[in-house]
Amino acid sequence: MSKEEKIPKVKDVQRGVWNAENVSKVRYMAAMGKHRIRGCGTPRKFPNFDDLVMLPSQLSRMSIDTYREDCKTQTVLGSRFAKEPLVIETPVMISGMSYGALSKECKTALAKATDIVGTSINNGEGGLLPEERDNSYKQVIQITPSRMGFSLRNIEAADAIEIICGIGAKPGLSGHLMGCKITEEIAKFRQLPQGIDLHSHPRHGDIFGADDMVLKIKQLRDLTDGKVPIFLKIAAGRVWEDVKIAAKTMVDGIVIDGAEGGTGAAPAVAADNLGIPSMPALVQAVKSLEDMGVKEEMSVILSGGVKDGADLAKALALGADAVALGTGVMVAMGCAVCLRCHEGKCAFGIGTQDPERRARLDVEKAAQQVANYIQAMTIEAVILAKAAGKTKLCNLEREDVRSLTLEACAMTGIPLVGSNYTFSDDKFGFFGPTI
Amino acid sequence: MVRLDLSKMNSREANNKVRELIKTEDEIEVVGTHSIHNFATGLIGQGRILLRGSTGFYTGGFMEGPTLEIEGNTGWYTGDNMMAGEIIVHMNTGSNAAPSMVGGNLVIKGNSGSRCGFGMKGGNLIVCGSVGRWSGGMTLGGRIVVLGEVGKGLGESMYKGIIHSLDPDLEEKIGGNVTIVPIEDNEKKELEKLFKQYDIEQGVDDFRSVIPQVSGRHEYVIYKPTHKKVV
Repeated sequence: MSKEEKIPKVKDVQRGVWNAENVSKVRYMAAMGKHRIRGCGTPRKFPNFDDLVMLPSQLSRMSIDTYREDCKTQTVLGSRFAKEPLVIETPVMISGMSYGALSKECKTALAKATDIVGTSINNGEGGLLPEERDNSYKQVIQITPSRMGFSLRNIEAADAIEIICGIGAKPGLSGHLMGCKITEEIAKFRQLPQGIDLHSHPRHGDIFGADDMVLKIKQLRDLTDGKVPIFLKIAAGRVWEDVKIAAKTMVDGIVIDGAEGGTGAAPAVAADNLGIPSMPALVQAVKSLEDMGVKEEMSVILSGGVKDGADLAKALALGADAVALGTGVMVAMGCAVCLRCHEGKCAFGIGTQDPERRARLDVEKAAQQVANYIQAMTIEAVILAKAAGKTKLCNLEREDVRSLTLEACAMTGIPLVGSNYTFSDDKFGFFGPTI
Repeated sequence: MVRLDLSKMNSREANNKVRELIKTEDEIEVVGTHSIHNFATGLIGQGRILLRGSTGFYTGGFMEGPTLEIEGNTGWYTGDNMMAGEIIVHMNTGSNAAPSMVGGNLVIKGNSGSRCGFGMKGGNLIVCGSVGRWSGGMTLGGRIVVLGEVGKGLGESMYKGIIHSLDPDLEEKIGGNVTIVPIEDNEKKELEKLFKQYDIEQGVDDFRSVIPQVSGRHEYVIYKPTHKKVV
């Protein structure tokens, strides 16, 4: 090969805005005259918990022995009004993912994993699979606008209820399930015609606005004799306002789903451009509840882009009580995050309804892998918490973290490393400039 | 018939009391309703409850089995998520009647508001008067019968289920992804049976049915230009 041939041609160079991804996008739009659908949420990089570091104990604080002293991980959620709050052994939950988007084998494996580690699974939009209920340790029942597969029987099976207002991957939009995944079995389960593309509704037919939500929460309390905690899941957008309204609806806790959240199918433009990332959303949610004086009594659960124990520890330090995992647990069982869940051809038997592909997922092995992942993640968080001098994970606090970047500092109100200064204003800053 | 006065009870107390009574009583007369919200939530049993007044939002939600007869009006979301049994409203209801209803019969002798039968999955919703906009949207099953006029966007994006209507302007009022077909003989018989059961004097021959287009994909028009092309 001559020297000249080795030199890249101009046509091979990525040209700024007109890179391969955007060229492909425009060509799709030109050919189809409509928006593109994509699985897994957004591949966009957002500011995240990697922009924070934790502070270890040295002379100013005593650290806890990593291997020989205890750090409590048991987590109690929803004790604001519920007579029987949700008690789980780790602050790592499995978030709402539907049977339909996921295979029966995947849902069963996730449920089994919760029983191994002692946490909760959320049934998601497509009804409650008997295999999920039978194998789960604690069952969260999601009340979605479509109510597919939902009835009083689901409420009776609930250890906690989650009313969903929106999800981080496509806030303000409704659920999508492409026709290729609506097999005969799924169609029967959801009462849908087989093979039809499902576009559910973003608003609940029985909850029009926050005032009605107050009555709906009362109704659900009546229905469950006030025993079961009720959470409200909101996609991160106008978090400041939404969380205050949510608190006034008298729920027991709030689930904040950041823009990094995954989904089986969403318009790519929505996944990439709607909503704000998890970390700043959590900060706003916590501050909002603190302003109302209800932070201590209300649970805050964060989902969207949480990947490891460091993220967990930092989320708890910023004020979360637990995190919920979606994409992470699927990766633990083999998902390659190919962004093509919507096509229903998942090679790993996770996001598919094709019998041949489903058979590729070893349920027992997948359950153990997910359980291992949650356990390892909890251990990672414990290692950091003990180094920070905590004997309970829930004792992690904002004082235990510092910002690595100006951006994270401004978003979180956590001081920049090497200084005690924040770049946020008084309203958002947790530390005054004079500390 | 035992009498229950709700005038000094909140919804939790009222529901606990009626749950207790329905275990032993065949008929319960309820007075002092004061438009109470969430009445008969998740009530399970076989008795008849007669309300001498009006109720507020979420009447009979998740109810499974009893007959609830309301002499007055009800608010929004009557019969939400109802499992089985029957609710008979002698006057009018607010909007969103029978949302996500799973089974049973909701009979409204007067008018109902917008979005009635939204996301219904089973059972029968009969409205003797008229209904507002977007009724029967996103239904997954069940039957909606409207004797009066229907609002625009009827049955928008139904996936399953059926709507029977007498409205002469049905063609102009249906929503997207649905179609109008003649009523079938077996459906007429079922309607006759229902009308007889609830003392509704109405013939069945003039009804037309709105059903979902179940083949292919739902089509949505998001871009709606109104300009005139220059040729």
